[in-house]
Amino acid sequence: MDFSLTDEQVMLRDTARALLAKECPPILVREHVDDPTVALPLWSQLKDFAALGDGPCTDLCLFIEETGYAAAPGPFFATTALFAPLLAAIDHELLPAVLAGDATGTVAVAGADGQWTPNDEPVKTFVPEADRVDFVAIVGADARVRVVPSADVSTRHVRMIDFSRRFFEVDTAAVAGAPAAELDPATLTNLTARATAALAAEMVGTSRRLFEMALAYAKERIQFDVPIGSFQAIQHRLAECSLDVERATAAAQYAAMTLDAEDPERFHAVHVAKAAAGNAATRSAKDSIQIHGGIGYTWEHDLHLYLRRAVGSEYWLGTTSWHHDRLADLLMPI
Amino acid sequence: MHLSWGPEEVAFREELCAFLDEYVPPEFERGYDYAGEGEGEDGADIVPGWAREWQATLFDHGWMIPGYPPELGGRNCTLVQTLVYLEELASRRVIRSFHYPGYGIVSPSLLEFGNEEQKKLVPAAARGDTIWCIGMSEPNAGSDLAGLQTRAMLDGDRFIVNGQKVWTSYASVAQKCFVYVRTDPDVPKHKGISLLIVDMDTPGIEVRPLRHLSRSAGFAEVFFTDVEVPVENLVGGLNDGWRITQGSLAHERAGLWVEGVCRLDSTVQGLIGIAERYGRHTDAGVRRDIAAFYEQALSLRALGHKGFSSFAQGSSAPEHSYMKMATSEIGKAAAEYGMELQGAYGPVMDPERGEDNGRWVNYFFLSFANTIAGGSSEIQRNIIAQRVLGLPRS
Repeated sequence: MDFSLTDEQVMLRDTARALLAKECPPILVREHVDDPTVALPLWSQLKDFAALGDGPCTDLCLFIEETGYAAAPGPFFATTALFAPLLAAIDHELLPAVLAGDATGTVAVAGADGQWTPNDEPVKTFVPEADRVDFVAIVGADARVRVVPSADVSTRHVRMIDFSRRFFEVDTAAVAGAPAAELDPATLTNLTARATAALAAEMVGTSRRLFEMALAYAKERIQFDVPIGSFQAIQHRLAECSLDVERATAAAQYAAMTLDAEDPERFHAVHVAKAAAGNAATRSAKDSIQIHGGIGYTWEHDLHLYLRRAVGSEYWLGTTSWHHDRLADLLMPI
Repeated sequence: MHLSWGPEEVAFREELCAFLDEYVPPEFERGYDYAGEGEGEDGADIVPGWAREWQATLFDHGWMIPGYPPELGGRNCTLVQTLVYLEELASRRVIRSFHYPGYGIVSPSLLEFGNEEQKKLVPAAARGDTIWCIGMSEPNAGSDLAGLQTRAMLDGDRFIVNGQKVWTSYASVAQKCFVYVRTDPDVPKHKGISLLIVDMDTPGIEVRPLRHLSRSAGFAEVFFTDVEVPVENLVGGLNDGWRITQGSLAHERAGLWVEGVCRLDSTVQGLIGIAERYGRHTDAGVRRDIAAFYEQALSLRALGHKGFSSFAQGSSAPEHSYMKMATSEIGKAAAEYGMELQGAYGPVMDPERGEDNGRWVNYFFLSFANTIAGGSSEIQRNIIAQRVLGLPRS
């Protein structure tokens, strides 16, 4: 396998990195806590990259990793990693507008138990960004898909640990009669794997941010007349943490490659990627707080903005333990 | 980024597989991890005859060090082909040689730092005709290698060597030794070290086999008492030995992680087998634990390849600093977990009663060596913190 980036991929990553550094600084993530509309100008920039939603998973993940680094709020993930691939799978007429960045959407699957599995319950849970996208794709029992304007469903914001990604309960009873497209359940499994790989990539970006903040602080914070980063206790904690971030980075890229290649081992790789990313995200969040000490425990410090994103992502589309259990089902079928 | 190798690598692998299918000795079918079992207590069996023949066969067919030219046992392979080679061997649990110092350390070091006369020693070292040992560690110089005290005094056209080496693998069977000695005690410690080639049958050398905790005699203590070494056996410059300690196969440095990852893979596969045989595979906790080990193994393999890709493109590859520490640490936990899964049978070594013919306990022992030899995990963390992350020295 070859992890080297093409010139186009390097440019894509660098473009994403520069754009998000400029358009999504910590202050925007902070203001977004109380006013989600501050993310609107960001989408007007990111929409130029909506076409990634129907391209190679590797390219999408490279870009999304940078949105995770910035804890970017808004409909980019829902539109490119969830909605667009689903539209492509059912050959929906909205797809061109979505890839052009002219329409946004999200996907509703989970029922009351919060699991991302098709069901016929009318109330869908953990639907990201449902109040600010143009369309909602509702996946029902037998993987039937209804794509409806978001204005036609009622939404309830559910406050969660992470303010940068907003989740909703969506009551779809009013659109029960909307025309439905048939989706092959195996295709839905592939789409879920793709979304999970994208989330793993995003979490890698958030982990990298948290780790870099800890590393920078360890180099500048002076105690006992020396930088705390000269102490072996801090050095070894950072060494272990960076290993987990590097490992997750490789696992997420590997998963994206296996999806692009339709490799038979791709589901193993996706479970590994999400578990490794979950491990990296929660570890870098906790280690970063610990290394920052008291200042990291304040609302004023930006650290919690990224900690929130990291922890919130761990619980979405399956926790680390959930992915370990699914991986065990593949390794040791009973 | 893409998953598959190109047609050139595929063809290369086919040629390699054809060779391996024909020539790999049947002894490997039991897996090389088991080699320790045959080690006599005096250390005499640590390089069995069939293993010597195998190494010579590899050399003669240009498959010993593929990145080298044919006269040195290779075929001028590319970096990527070398990686394919290392992965194929490791996945078959086949090793090239039962004594790595000659081909892995002495050959590349002499090619880089040796004079023309010394370079003539390389073919025999790579082919395994000469068995080498490396005299680095001392009782008071382990992780602090540069603190070594074995003294060499220049006396006319010879050095007089006095001191002691320890944890010297293969010393009981070696014909030659790479001995790191202190030639100037009055300068900072890294700057007073030289490297000598010493014949092991030189008067004044005494080798005392030192048993591993597993009871086998894999390494030794080596005592030097007024040992005379011709001055032409100095490798590189006087007091310039420290930089040679970093020597390893440049062609293969980017693939050093392969063996560790494959060993880990094979341990995880072993866990699955044990869980199924002992009826533990339906236990939710066991399933989750084994999946977590699998996650580590697969993600580390991906990290190894990622580092290799940047190395092959000419970038530095910090990924490799992580691989040794991670594979050995996870491997240690996995070996212990394998014993745990067996319940009361975990510590059984009786071949007729214990798991894997009573050899799993050896994996447990071996896993301790892996987090110490070649730079302990603590030293690896220091290296990552200071050289990769740029943290200040304490």
